[in-house]
Amino acid sequence: MPTKTKERELTFSQAWQRYGTLGILVLLLVILAILRPSFFFKTSTITQILSQSSVNILIALGEFFAILIAGIDLSVGSVVALSGMFMAKLMVSGTSPIAAVLLGVLMGALLGFINGILVNSTGLHPFIITLGTQAIFRGVTLIISDSSAVFGFPASFSRFMAQRIFYVPVAAIIAIAVALILAFLTKQTKLGRNIYALGGNRESAWYSGINIKLHTLIVFVISGICAGIAGVVLLGRVGSAEPAAATGFETYAIAAAIIGGTSFFGGKGKIFGVVMGGLIIGVINFGMNLLSVSSTLQQVVMGALIIGSVTLDRFVAGRK
Amino acid sequence: MKTLVEMKNVVKKFPGVTALDGISFDIRSGEVHVLLGENGAGKSTLMKILSGVHKPTSGEIIIDGKAFDHLTPHDSYKNGISVIYQELSVINELSIGENLFIGRLPMKKLGFFETVDHSEINKRAREILETVGLNRDPKTAVEELSISEKQQVEIAKALAADSKVIIMDEPTASLTNSEVESLFKIIRRLKRDGKGIVFISHKLGEIMEIGDRVTVLKDGGYVGTKNISQITQDDLVTMMVGRQISKNYQHDTFDFENEPVIFEVANLSRKDNKVRDVSFKLHKGEILGFSGLVGSGRSEMMNAIFGAEPKSAGRIFIDGEEIKTSSPYSAIKKGLAMVTENRRETGFFHNFDIAENISVLPFVKTSGAGGISGLVSKKDEAQWADEQKEKLNIKCYSTKQLVSELSGGNQQKVILGKWLAADSKIIIFDEPTKGIDVGSKSEIYSLMRRLADEGKGVLVVSSELPELLSICDTIAVFREGKIVKFFNHREATEENIIHASTAQESEEI
Repeated sequence: MPTKTKERELTFSQAWQRYGTLGILVLLLVILAILRPSFFFKTSTITQILSQSSVNILIALGEFFAILIAGIDLSVGSVVALSGMFMAKLMVSGTSPIAAVLLGVLMGALLGFINGILVNSTGLHPFIITLGTQAIFRGVTLIISDSSAVFGFPASFSRFMAQRIFYVPVAAIIAIAVALILAFLTKQTKLGRNIYALGGNRESAWYSGINIKLHTLIVFVISGICAGIAGVVLLGRVGSAEPAAATGFETYAIAAAIIGGTSFFGGKGKIFGVVMGGLIIGVINFGMNLLSVSSTLQQVVMGALIIGSVTLDRFVAGRK
Repeated sequence: MKTLVEMKNVVKKFPGVTALDGISFDIRSGEVHVLLGENGAGKSTLMKILSGVHKPTSGEIIIDGKAFDHLTPHDSYKNGISVIYQELSVINELSIGENLFIGRLPMKKLGFFETVDHSEINKRAREILETVGLNRDPKTAVEELSISEKQQVEIAKALAADSKVIIMDEPTASLTNSEVESLFKIIRRLKRDGKGIVFISHKLGEIMEIGDRVTVLKDGGYVGTKNISQITQDDLVTMMVGRQISKNYQHDTFDFENEPVIFEVANLSRKDNKVRDVSFKLHKGEILGFSGLVGSGRSEMMNAIFGAEPKSAGRIFIDGEEIKTSSPYSAIKKGLAMVTENRRETGFFHNFDIAENISVLPFVKTSGAGGISGLVSKKDEAQWADEQKEKLNIKCYSTKQLVSELSGGNQQKVILGKWLAADSKIIIFDEPTKGIDVGSKSEIYSLMRRLADEGKGVLVVSSELPELLSICDTIAVFREGKIVKFFNHREATEENIIHASTAQESEEI
């Protein structure tokens, strides 16, 4: 329970809410440093973790908003694949990389828009709608790609995406930039405030003049844009557009948001937490590879960690 | 007649409020015992003690000569007490027969296993359904039934459990006239079979028709028990009213009729017929109250005015200028405010602190593009919160405190604060003091009067008559979706308001 004292000292549970995810991240890094010091203290390690986590963090940033309004977006993996495939097709057919990237992100926005329109017009839970569009968007990806990978992008694109600025990969810079923009949106804009209100209490939001459908639509467009940007980053990293790309990525995105302290019941969560959640997952994955844990066992560990971290979070913070 | 259940000197205290103050009540075999009283009089609490939901603070319950200091739901069920709540508890997905025997379905052996014996269920169900006059196949899914048929299933369920006492909480609230007639037929049959019926209702005409005895409660206290054959409707009204009104908030010398009309509604109707051709005017400085039974259309009208629910016809004016309210957003932009009935569901945001709750409204009101454009100003937010904390005397250690930590009265002030921070002109209060302690109540009344004096329009929907009588300059009485009468506060009494709101359609008032 929150403290009733006059001066607000930081209680343990409040400290946990604010810095808990950061603490876990640091703890994981320390464990890794102790177990494999030779690998750990190399800049390439940090670079690798950052660039591996970027795609997941980008998707999770969009997913965060869907969860914030007590919804979910299961289609993000397919959106990454479809907008990535669309971009790839444009680039190999001679469109300039900049135009292709912009159109690809726009495609992500459009797919999110479709999700939002469907949720609003049917009144069904986003879980059902995005479960459906997950299959539809994936199917469209397979159709337009003829079920085969697309590669051979202009050298300028590949070069740009492989760059590092002060050891920081471009992918990570993109993710950080998007996170900063969205943090601004959640903290400083009325739109952001309204989304929290809608997630906290739909009915109260409606009676307070908040247009529920409009905000729901915007949330899914944001989720689509984030997935579209993740599509760009993935394309840059892999060097080709695979029709089966990003399959199952929604799971990691949801996990990152939840580990980062986003409430599944809506209305609570922070962008900073989502970034931490994404990094935690990235470090765990990297660490298990480093410790040569088999990929099958990695799945088990990941699942257990999701349940464990959220349980710990609820337990320590005493949240309902 | 044999006494089935007797409650003696039952006291129930909730934190800060005495819900029942030494009530005695008995139920005899073969009678309909009516329980009457205003909202909050203690009827439901008394019945919840009998059904084992609440544990009495003191008192005794005697069933068949056995004395209990409290009942568990299981005791209650085992001793033959069934309650039919207003919100029916049948399970829509199951068949009628399964509903009747749920929890103790007859089983049959099938090899090593036991399975549900559906033929036995249907056979026994058919007999019981006949008793309650429901001509339906027991295999029918309950979701296919009408409300009155579902109610018959509830009664059948009580019979299937071999209940001796059946408590019906406002059973006629959602029934048509002919459905009420068939319900009464069933009740008469149950009486002949020796059951004891507790009938909770507000409708005096019905009570006179079906009741044998009546017990009246008021503010948790016992008023009296009478034989219905020996009293009139007027006697019932007299027994129900007469609560002391501690203070009046009207200005006695003030004549608002000469003041300008600041708000007007003309010929408002809803497609669902819950509001039919309603018109009223509000003058500067006047507090207009809306009385009527629950479901008579008062809240429905307010929701339509505020744009939260659709209207089919009608015009709305603020200061003589017509406004369109197609959504709460458009209503808010024009200066309307609505303090809703359920704070928790439609009032505040549990995930926001006090300051954030208050600033939601001014932020939305000052934003463009349908409420999405613009930036949040922490400075404005803090200033609005401090202003309202000061003005409304919100008791908190900081405006950064979560609203869910506050008392009901202070939560209500926060909600009022968000509307005042948005500089609303016309404020609709729907049950403004529901679940609020006495001290905060009078504070809220004073606030409402102050707002009216400052030139804000104040409209109040309340089911508590003493509340309306002590704060309103004018009281409009709703019945079946229409305003049937306006009373000036000088002529308004509990008697004439209850008469106006409960009289049957054909009667003259």
